[in-house]
Amino acid sequence: MKKNCYRFFGGLLTLQENWLNRMADNGYRLVRTGKLLYGFESCAPGQYQYRVEFVGEKSREGAEDYARFLEDCGYRVFFKNINLDYSIGKVKWRPWAEPGGRVAARATTYDRELLIVEKARDGKPFELHTTYEDRLLYYRNLRKPWLWLLGMSVVFGSVMRAWVWGIFAILSLFPLAAYQAELAKLKKQAVTKEW
Amino acid sequence: MRDHGKGGALTEVTFYILLSLYAPKHGYAIMQFVADRTGGRLVLGAGTLYGALNTLEEKGWISPLGTSGGRKKEYQITPLGREAAEKELARLRELTHTAAEIMGGTL
Repeated sequence: MKKNCYRFFGGLLTLQENWLNRMADNGYRLVRTGKLLYGFESCAPGQYQYRVEFVGEKSREGAEDYARFLEDCGYRVFFKNINLDYSIGKVKWRPWAEPGGRVAARATTYDRELLIVEKARDGKPFELHTTYEDRLLYYRNLRKPWLWLLGMSVVFGSVMRAWVWGIFAILSLFPLAAYQAELAKLKKQAVTKEW
Repeated sequence: MRDHGKGGALTEVTFYILLSLYAPKHGYAIMQFVADRTGGRLVLGAGTLYGALNTLEEKGWISPLGTSGGRKKEYQITPLGREAAEKELARLRELTHTAAEIMGGTL
């Protein structure tokens, strides 16, 4: 049986991941994705597990190489957009990305900021990042866009004296606080543990 | 990675990856090798392994085997990587020797 769902999770990666895992537990396997669309097909309940991974900081080659590596490891991989934007010919500046990913356009990394990774459940835990060092790196990459937004808002806000930048600055504080807390926890654990 | 910060130790993850690549392997086989050899004690996530492989390749400790289109990318250890692994083995031998001496165990 096929089922289409329309959802928008934005930057709430864990929420998206939990929802996909709940769908899989209820016997629905992801088969395609669109802007808002998640297309499912019936499967045995709990047959698959999902992880949602942020790759917005990578270049197109980097993201594709990573996706290929995950596929070689036996996972299924879907690219997914993190934001909603229906404008045509969109180009975005991502100063926080690695070289090659700093100008994101439709043809490169725009609307391909997330990877949804599917693994057939085999009784073993499904984690993509297992060492503390690597998990720190991952959360730093998640934090970067928000740090930039905060920095830009402060700069533009003080130069232009426009209140709208204040709103951006305040908005950026919530994810920053969340990632900061996660990083602090990981850093503390990383002192005594490697993985 | 924090390997050889000051002539110090390799991380366990790095050492196991190097050991696994004495015979060429692709990513999934490396994950299996590490899990098997440690009895499931050390399990590498694919994302972590990907990052580690890239770092080791940058260091010149491992190199990808000539990839022909469509096939899984395989890696193998380089002479420089062997050197790092041999140093680590010597360091661990010295360590176990000292430990056995002090703790009174037998090697």
